[in-house]
Amino acid sequence: MMKKTLALFALVLLIFAACKKDNHEEKDTQYPEILATANSFPTQCGVVTRGQTFTFKATFSDNKELGAFSLDIHHNFDHHNHSTEVNQCTFEAKKAPIKPFIFIQNYNIPAGSKQHEATAQIVVPADVDPGDYHFMIRLTDKEGWQTIKGLSIKIQ
Amino acid sequence: MKKWYAFFFSCFLASYALAQNTDVSVYVSNAQNNPVQGAKVWLRTIEVYTDASGTAIFKDIPLGNYNLKVQAKTYADYEKRIQISKGEQHFHAKLKPEVTELKTVEINTNAQAIRKSSEARNIDIVDQEFVQRHLGGSLMKTLDRLPGISSIGIGSGQSKPLIRGMGFNRVVVVDKGIKHEGQQWGADHGLEIDQFAAGEIEVIKGPSSFVYGSDAIGGAINLKPVSVPLNQDLGGSVNLIGKTNNKHYGGSVNLFGSNKKWFFDSRVTYQNYADYRVPTDKVYVYDYAVNLHNNQLRNTAGRETGLHFSTGYVGKTFKTAFYASNSYAKTGFFANAHGLEPRNVDEALHDASDRDIQLPYQTVNHFKLINRTEFNHSNSKTELELGFQHNYRQEFNHYTAHGFMPPVYPTNMSIPINLERVYHKSIYSGNLRHSFSINKHQLQIGFNGDYQDNNISGWSFLIPAFQQFNAGLFAYDKYIINNDLILHGALRYDYGTYQFERYDDWFPSQREVNGIKTEEVLTRTRDFSRNFNSFVWSVGANYNPGKLNVKANIGKSFRMPIAKELAANGVNYHYFSFERGNENLDPEVAYQADFGITWTEKKWSVNFNPFYNYFPNYIYLNPTPYHDRFYGAGNQVFEYQQSSVVRYGAELKVNYQLLPSLSTEFLGEYLYSEQLSGDKKGFTIPFSPAPSALLNLTWSPKLGEKLSNTYFSVDYRLTARQENIVPPEKKTPGYQIVNLQLGGSLVFNKQNVDMSLQVQNLFDAKYLNHTSFYRLIELPEASRNVVLSLKIPFKVNDQ
Repeated sequence: MMKKTLALFALVLLIFAACKKDNHEEKDTQYPEILATANSFPTQCGVVTRGQTFTFKATFSDNKELGAFSLDIHHNFDHHNHSTEVNQCTFEAKKAPIKPFIFIQNYNIPAGSKQHEATAQIVVPADVDPGDYHFMIRLTDKEGWQTIKGLSIKIQ
Repeated sequence: MKKWYAFFFSCFLASYALAQNTDVSVYVSNAQNNPVQGAKVWLRTIEVYTDASGTAIFKDIPLGNYNLKVQAKTYADYEKRIQISKGEQHFHAKLKPEVTELKTVEINTNAQAIRKSSEARNIDIVDQEFVQRHLGGSLMKTLDRLPGISSIGIGSGQSKPLIRGMGFNRVVVVDKGIKHEGQQWGADHGLEIDQFAAGEIEVIKGPSSFVYGSDAIGGAINLKPVSVPLNQDLGGSVNLIGKTNNKHYGGSVNLFGSNKKWFFDSRVTYQNYADYRVPTDKVYVYDYAVNLHNNQLRNTAGRETGLHFSTGYVGKTFKTAFYASNSYAKTGFFANAHGLEPRNVDEALHDASDRDIQLPYQTVNHFKLINRTEFNHSNSKTELELGFQHNYRQEFNHYTAHGFMPPVYPTNMSIPINLERVYHKSIYSGNLRHSFSINKHQLQIGFNGDYQDNNISGWSFLIPAFQQFNAGLFAYDKYIINNDLILHGALRYDYGTYQFERYDDWFPSQREVNGIKTEEVLTRTRDFSRNFNSFVWSVGANYNPGKLNVKANIGKSFRMPIAKELAANGVNYHYFSFERGNENLDPEVAYQADFGITWTEKKWSVNFNPFYNYFPNYIYLNPTPYHDRFYGAGNQVFEYQQSSVVRYGAELKVNYQLLPSLSTEFLGEYLYSEQLSGDKKGFTIPFSPAPSALLNLTWSPKLGEKLSNTYFSVDYRLTARQENIVPPEKKTPGYQIVNLQLGGSLVFNKQNVDMSLQVQNLFDAKYLNHTSFYRLIELPEASRNVVLSLKIPFKVNDQ
């Protein structure tokens, strides 16, 4: 009786062991990267000017395939600072926004890219509030892993 | 194959041959193990008095399950379910003094064993004593010691159950017969349950849709009401609790009373705690560095109150009880990690006091009114449960413009500036069951129905207002072939419908088409409705020849997509992601096979529960590569999708009694899941707990007349690393923690004081819990915590 029970027990274990498929297909668990190069713009504490167009430039890379990226510029007049960068910039005094610059845009990256030189023309209207802003870059790969870079910039 | 058939057949035959009568002896003693003479002992309808040695002998009793009852003067009534078998003929009834322990309706391992062995699904049963010993920040945190159970925690006071890796709306919590309906879809929403008020708690692992309806696809937690014994006059108890980690203090006062037919029970609970402590002074909220003042998690303090009142009538053929409760909580969110994006906060303001609750915070009020009525007919029983629940949740935060929201909050808005989100729902539910027997079949047929009205408010949007109606019909047959073999079969049909209300933004967004910018008020959810219906089944068996218990269960379960999965369209304030529902989701279906094998010897027992699950269309939140440029302010879009998923795993439980006063226990759990199709093919599903083992050593010495039920217990938990992840999760290293529990009952002047002391995370280990909601921001679990809890039962004499 006892032996038979043990046999049954072993059988159940076997069934479960058999269910475990051999799956050695490599899963992508690596985050995409936002690389800093000499061409990158803007950089931490960078300055852009009202009434002008500037060109965003960055180099992205991923071990398998890049997904998409978004850019977001919003004011930091309240010093809610969430920069990912180590060096801090000097801020102006806190102030209330009147007509702050808001820029949000999403961009596609050509399918199959492992490396991508991103560029975007951004128009800064002449009538927006000058001061401290955040420049957020959110980069994903095809699997959905995301890397964020938060830069402090100034609009003057 | 032939051999297996023969094996099964021979087992059945053997058990038939063994069925016979036996003599049974019952030894009755007091708490100090001295014999009690003249106690009246019942076994079904036979009554015998104990002799001078405290023993009552019953001759020629057929083997089977019995209700053992003992009554003796100056002692509390004793009642226990026992199983009389060839090896089990001697029973010990230990009586407790009448004065203090009125409330203790004996819930003992033996009765639990009988229930477990006549139930085809895998269940664990715990009582208030377990809660006292392992008291965590919330009921679900307390339960996560059980094998196969973990919790998704946020802060120190809130967590949600995770049964075999299934949580949120995949686990049903049933409170006094009625499904608890709060805002269980949100990870930051705790469960509005007062752990002091729980009676017996039954945890059902694995899909149980056929009993509890749609959401029980992962399992169910059944909170039974505390039963008040009749003829007790007035009594009660006072609980006091203190915790060092978050400077928690609280108490719960209970008062009950009963006469021959009527009873009432009441309870008031209050808890107050400060910010909790972690063994680190810096965390990285998605790469943004945050310094922690005094190792405390800024703004995680909270207050909770619970009010309960119940009353009822108990007759021979008719029983009814009303349960009313109101629970209220105000809890802060970790200020640096809540909102549209990780933010710097006014540290001076937050760090001035660790007990204040600043923005962001939430308040929740949950009111519940339940009636349970039972009609006993000669050979059948009808049960009716009616419930009304009202859940009101408000989330407060500083106004932050999302995307194209105006930078300054307009003064003409009727919604207050700090009122971020409001969820407000009313739920009406009803269950009707009729149980009867035909020969060896115990049958139950029933109906469940509920209607929900959900409303929203606040300046931020995630899910729309909606109405929901569900109805289900079921039939269940328990076929008792003989003492050793029980077969189960169940069928259930469900219908559910949703009606969603349209929601438009209160501000215009900037749209750009071919370089031309236009301003437009966006519609976030349109008016739409969905209907679902589903047919599920389950078959199972129990085979209990003596020391062996075998159970098996296979079946189909289902779950209707929830409102968030169908219609969400807003920012998740903890993941900093943009969640988008999918109107076209199908109901989730699961096929499961569950097994349980238990072998019980006098000194040891082994229990092994393997399971296998297949979901053709599991609903999960898929992080896409895309971003939302409106409301999401450039955040990554997470979208609900369906994929086929396979899951399997097992729990193992081993007990060994080393010495009469020294026992050891091993609990282990393993779970593997994999997506077999879709965008994340090859990945696991979110919140998969890592393999884990718990080794316990308990010493329960007798330390004299005044001290009883003493225990010194140490838990050593060893959790493996979790490398099986899915975006956006992170690999979590393994960890080891040690928890201590000690306690006992002290008697002075006929007054009992139950004391329990716990040290959680004794060595102050810095570790990450893979299923914690704060795992993604690399936040370690709580530092060492000493928990002291006292329970003082009392009786009011009406002389």
